Amino acid sequence: MTALLRIVSPVTFTGGNLPDNSRSRRGTVVKCSNERRVLFNRIAPVYDNLNDLLSLGQHRIWKNMAVSWSGAKTGNNVLDLCCGSGDLAFLLSEKVGSTGKVMGLDFSCEQLAVAATRQNLKARSCYKCIEWMEGDALELPFGDCEFDAITMGYGLRNVVDRDRAMKEMYRVLKPGSRVSILDFNKSNQSVTTFMQDWMIDNVVVPVATVYGLSKEYEYLKSSINGYLTGEELETLALEAGFSSARHYEISGGFMGNLVAER
Amino acid sequence: MVRLSRVLLKDAGNVIDKTLSEILVCPLSKQPLRFCEKTKSLVSDTIGVSFPMKGGIPCLVPKDGKILEEESEASKKNIK
Repeated sequence: MTALLRIVSPVTFTGGNLPDNSRSRRGTVVKCSNERRVLFNRIAPVYDNLNDLLSLGQHRIWKNMAVSWSGAKTGNNVLDLCCGSGDLAFLLSEKVGSTGKVMGLDFSCEQLAVAATRQNLKARSCYKCIEWMEGDALELPFGDCEFDAITMGYGLRNVVDRDRAMKEMYRVLKPGSRVSILDFNKSNQSVTTFMQDWMIDNVVVPVATVYGLSKEYEYLKSSINGYLTGEELETLALEAGFSSARHYEISGGFMGNLVAER
Repeated sequence: MVRLSRVLLKDAGNVIDKTLSEILVCPLSKQPLRFCEKTKSLVSDTIGVSFPMKGGIPCLVPKDGKILEEESEASKKNIK
């Protein structure tokens, strides 16, 4: 059981009623982004605690890996999409330092409020270089070729139009720069899928129930099923214009990180 | 009205950092934004839409934008 808990998925919040389009990347665009926005606003107060609890802190390791893969370095101008309460943005700010700039964008004002509060509590000067903004990952408020790196943690699975999101990321990225997208891995291995489902049913949902969020976490299983496999994500990135794309499976195949270069 | 790129405004938490102001554009038109001191909002003159700022955080979700004509009429009704 301990071994199983060690690879527990983090809390990644999903919501809304996504139709089952598990194998259709170009399926119906689901117009429920507002429901998801409301949902993420609702869970903001407990989001960080649940992430730590359900992943036994491992989500920090995965996020560190995502930031490393992004290639962000000192002085860079970088973007964290679907930033939520700011985990990846804070890690990025440590990479770019006080001479760099981090933009954290999310559509949930409550998550951003948590992020801003956390920023105010942190002592290091590099964290002051983070700017938060409320926005839509499908309509980014940035000009072309603006960023040296982009990260997205547990966001791509939740957007209602993944093609559009990838194209926006491509647009605002500088040539030669990378996007690093961390999320659950939709595995082709039946054993991995079984284990993911088991963990969600027997660990994630019961714990979420204690916080009154059982429905949201029950949804996680169908959300992962409706996501794209690593190969499909690579294709998605290449079709959006990226020159290269590679999906890495991590944490025993439970998580995955797409790295694409413009 | 002043162009967003030249504003460093501090008013009840509605701070626009200069670097931020140089990066942000209208999410729909991708054209520069203008900070309106009167309404404390970010204005896209290209499409005639304003976006609010809440607690110093720019709110640039397209569906939250307000058409400038509607905003003006709402102000007039409030005055009456």
